[in-house]
Amino acid sequence: MASVTYNNIYKSWGEVKVIKDLNLEIRDKEFLVLVGPSGSGKSTALRLLAGLEEITSGELYIGDRLVNDVPPKDRDIAMVFQSYALYPHMSVYDNMAFGLKLRKMPAAEIEEKVKEAAGMLGLETLLDRKPKALSGGQRQRVALGRAIVRHPAVFLMDEPLSNLDAKLRVETRSQISKLHKRLDTTFVYVTHDQTEALTMADRIAVLKDGMLQQVDSPQVLYDSPKNVFVAGFIGSPAMNFFDATVTGSPEEMYIDTGGFRVRVPQSYVNALRGYGGKKVVFGIRPEDIHSARFTPGGVTGETVRGKVDMQEIMGNEIILYMDTSGSSYTARVDPRERAQIGDEVEVAFNMENMHVFDPETEEAIYA
Amino acid sequence: MKRYGLMVLLLLVVLTVASCGNRTATTETDSGSAGEMSETTDSEGTTEESGDTSAETGEVEVFSWWTGGGEAAGLEAMIELFAEEYPDITFNNAAVAGGAGTNARAVLATRLQAGDPPDSWQGHAGQELIGTYVAANQIQPLNDMYEANGWMEVMPETLIPLISQDGNIYSVPVNIHRANVMWTNPTLLAEANVDVPTSWDEFFTACEAIEAMDKVCLAMGEQWTAMHLLETVLLGSLGVERYNGLWTGETDWASAEVTTALESFAQVLDHVNSDASALSWQDAAQLVVNGDAAFNIMGDWVNGYFASSPDSGGLGLTPNDAYGWAASPGTAGTFQFLSDSFVLPVDAPHPDGATAWLNVAGSKAGQEAFNPVKGSICARTDCDAALFDAYLQSAMDDWSSNEVVGSLTHGVVANDSWKSEIDTALGLFLTDRNVESFQSALAAACASIGACQ
Amino acid sequence: MRIKRDALLGFLMVLPSIIAIGIFVYGFIGWTGRVSLSNWVGLLPNYEWAGLKNYTNLLFNDPRFMVDIRNTVIFTVLFVLGCLILGLFLAVLLDQGLRGEAFFRSLFLFPMAISFIVTGVVWRWLMNPAQGSRISGLNLLFDRIGLDSLINSWHATPTWGIAAIAIPAIWQMSGYTMALYLGGLRAIPDDLREAARVDGASEVEIYRHVILPLLRPVTLSAMIILGHISLKVFDLIIAVAGKQLALDVPAIYMWTTTFDGQFYGRGAAIAMLLLLSVAILVIPYLYYTIRTEAEL
Repeated sequence: MASVTYNNIYKSWGEVKVIKDLNLEIRDKEFLVLVGPSGSGKSTALRLLAGLEEITSGELYIGDRLVNDVPPKDRDIAMVFQSYALYPHMSVYDNMAFGLKLRKMPAAEIEEKVKEAAGMLGLETLLDRKPKALSGGQRQRVALGRAIVRHPAVFLMDEPLSNLDAKLRVETRSQISKLHKRLDTTFVYVTHDQTEALTMADRIAVLKDGMLQQVDSPQVLYDSPKNVFVAGFIGSPAMNFFDATVTGSPEEMYIDTGGFRVRVPQSYVNALRGYGGKKVVFGIRPEDIHSARFTPGGVTGETVRGKVDMQEIMGNEIILYMDTSGSSYTARVDPRERAQIGDEVEVAFNMENMHVFDPETEEAIYA
Repeated sequence: MKRYGLMVLLLLVVLTVASCGNRTATTETDSGSAGEMSETTDSEGTTEESGDTSAETGEVEVFSWWTGGGEAAGLEAMIELFAEEYPDITFNNAAVAGGAGTNARAVLATRLQAGDPPDSWQGHAGQELIGTYVAANQIQPLNDMYEANGWMEVMPETLIPLISQDGNIYSVPVNIHRANVMWTNPTLLAEANVDVPTSWDEFFTACEAIEAMDKVCLAMGEQWTAMHLLETVLLGSLGVERYNGLWTGETDWASAEVTTALESFAQVLDHVNSDASALSWQDAAQLVVNGDAAFNIMGDWVNGYFASSPDSGGLGLTPNDAYGWAASPGTAGTFQFLSDSFVLPVDAPHPDGATAWLNVAGSKAGQEAFNPVKGSICARTDCDAALFDAYLQSAMDDWSSNEVVGSLTHGVVANDSWKSEIDTALGLFLTDRNVESFQSALAAACASIGACQ
Repeated sequence: MRIKRDALLGFLMVLPSIIAIGIFVYGFIGWTGRVSLSNWVGLLPNYEWAGLKNYTNLLFNDPRFMVDIRNTVIFTVLFVLGCLILGLFLAVLLDQGLRGEAFFRSLFLFPMAISFIVTGVVWRWLMNPAQGSRISGLNLLFDRIGLDSLINSWHATPTWGIAAIAIPAIWQMSGYTMALYLGGLRAIPDDLREAARVDGASEVEIYRHVILPLLRPVTLSAMIILGHISLKVFDLIIAVAGKQLALDVPAIYMWTTTFDGQFYGRGAAIAMLLLLSVAILVIPYLYYTIRTEAEL
């Protein structure tokens, strides 16, 4: 059982800095997801923790122990690789037992642990097979099993689901979540997929270009992204952004995108007081733009008319790609809104959930 | 899997077709495959047919392994002479380089097996030639030519039987080399205060004195030079009559005399340089003139190597000063010879040219042109001594006065097969030094291949 | 129809090479086999039936052939093991991401471009067994740097001289073995090493438990390739030491007995035994390779 602390960590490959001043506290028994686009440094951050890369500067702690110079085998960690990295010449059993054998654990004890892990993952009948003879999902479970048997203090996973098909990915997602509950240990999980991050994480750390953007619970990240990047990265379909101007008076303040104008709710007026007449970035999630005819109860939206450029029918909802005098945006509307491409539709912006960002710093401006 | 099966099947089919095709080709066409050859040799037709063309075109193709040094120069001198005497016959020099004749003989064997013989070719006089080409009915007797040219009178009496089979002479010897020569370092012998040994017992005494000076007594090279040593030990220990008897079946290889001779040989090997197997004959001979070893037993081409100028690959030494020589222990008065000779094939494409070539090769002028350059003496005893150097003059004296016996290593007394079995027995002996098994292997070789059948 | 015509055309295209191989490889093997069952001694072919006499003589009644087998076994074991160990060592060294790796790779591979004859001539001098005042080659080097205990007679050593011949052979072929192993090492994903590292393996244990077992197919290929080179060794020995029985191997025996001694039947029998020994080595390997390919 251990926490993990990144303290002013830098990692460079020659001139290129891939991790810049990473400060991150991962709590004991927490499921923390490192998320970011490719090249954000999330995998490197994990590999630094695994001891597979050397830290350029800064301090890395597992529990209270400074592990900068501790080799991977002494860090009390286990890792699941994106490729699974199963030893092709060993049976499933031997793959799982390998780490224990290296630790000179008695054979009986090894067998007990491997059987237990195999039971947990439904691998009992596959123990004698070679990895070559397994399906992708089975291989993935063996990789998990190999980590589980070790009972590590920290459990590392590097995109473990990206080689699975969509259906299996969803199933395995919940399996891993359950596993976390059951093992009751620290999980550090790297993914580029924000859905995985949102569904599994206790907390999410968003990285971009080697810099930590925000760490918080999924809900907070969703509700209160700290900057344009996090706002755009978390949530699907992504948040709509508009280059806009704040107009009007404190009594009657508007956001003007050039294509349409919406009224700022009273709760935001104070925050935007200093921005009168200035440029801001206005953001609103597609799920906060409703069909004007089917607006849920309790929501009073600012109505805007727009033309439907395209639509995606999802069954339980429709995603409309809208255009209002040159400003385009996405709306997730009630399926009863049966618009045709080219139709004029009236939508309602739930301005209570609006986001505004400073165009210079891209930082959020909150009420 | 199916595809591999198909491939294998195809190969089998092709294989069958090919092997059948071979057989038909042999009988129907001139392809020169192995099977056809015996036919060619059996039938007289080929000989006549090609004989007709030779007279008109006037060619002769002479095959040898004389491609470098004094040998090539000597051959050139003879070719010049040939051109003077037979201006209408074009001379084709078909010399093949490499391996001291090994390559050339392999090429020749292939040509003969393919029914494409040269008009004349070089071979070691004696059983090497007789055992190979007479046995295969490839060459003809030359008694008439000897009679016509009066060669019987100018060659040593004891030589003729050694190059004959059943009274038929089969080759014209061009040159003579002596095998039983012991080369010495006079300075070293003087320092050790020993005389040149004339028997093997004297040799062993001399070795003690020389080895006391931390020098090698007898320099030897790779395995064939050990066989050369063996034949001189056999000759020195058994004497001429019993030595000759080894090759005619009159001397029993299993006899006590041979045991004694082989034991002497074993004892001689105890006084040989330890790195013998890594040395060529030149390396071994050089040990003597460098002062590292007192003796070396090797044929008299060593003289050519010592005396000829460095430009032509020699050491440029003065005979009787930098090196001395004597008959190898126990062989004084005996000339153990070897000779390069030329033959007349049964089915020479140009028999007239071949005869012309042999006439030149056996003539006084031809041998005087060749031998001084090659560094050997004439097979004829009437060559002009003034053309030769100090060593060769002494050899010429011995050649006309000594009793002539043949060399084993250089093909006079045993055919190739027998020699090769002796070589194997010797090789095993060099590794295990077991005289008993050596002797029984030699006896077995004689029984299975040689004269003891 | 179209497919059939194409197949026929393809077959016709490869037919000449099939015929050529059929005649010049398999036809001649067959002919050699026939000669090996004959009494042919001497210049001219003699196909008189001899049964298995040439074979039984060689195998049961020929001390020289026993020497050959012994020499071949010693040479093969030393040569193959030496190449594998040195080749693996060099490959692992180069795989550490050494600076100038391409240079070293070429350097180590280079001896393979040389023929065994050239190697033999060079090593004939290096392994000159002369001692005392005529000392030269490696012995001279040992003498100069004070490693007198290393001075030895090399291939002139009684009984074990053949072992010295393995040295130049290893020198020549270990670079090639290295290239094979380097290819094998490069094919092992880094993930596996990292997984083993996280699993708790030290660098040595990674090689022992993960890398080496994964290199087993490479080792097998290398053993087959080196093994059949070693069974057929001829030119190297001739170049280093000439024809001498202490260093005799079947290929040399075959050559001398056929072309020096004119024992064509015996020579052919040796050739067939050589072919058989190479086949015993290679055929299971080919079978294995073809089966693996079929699986893929």
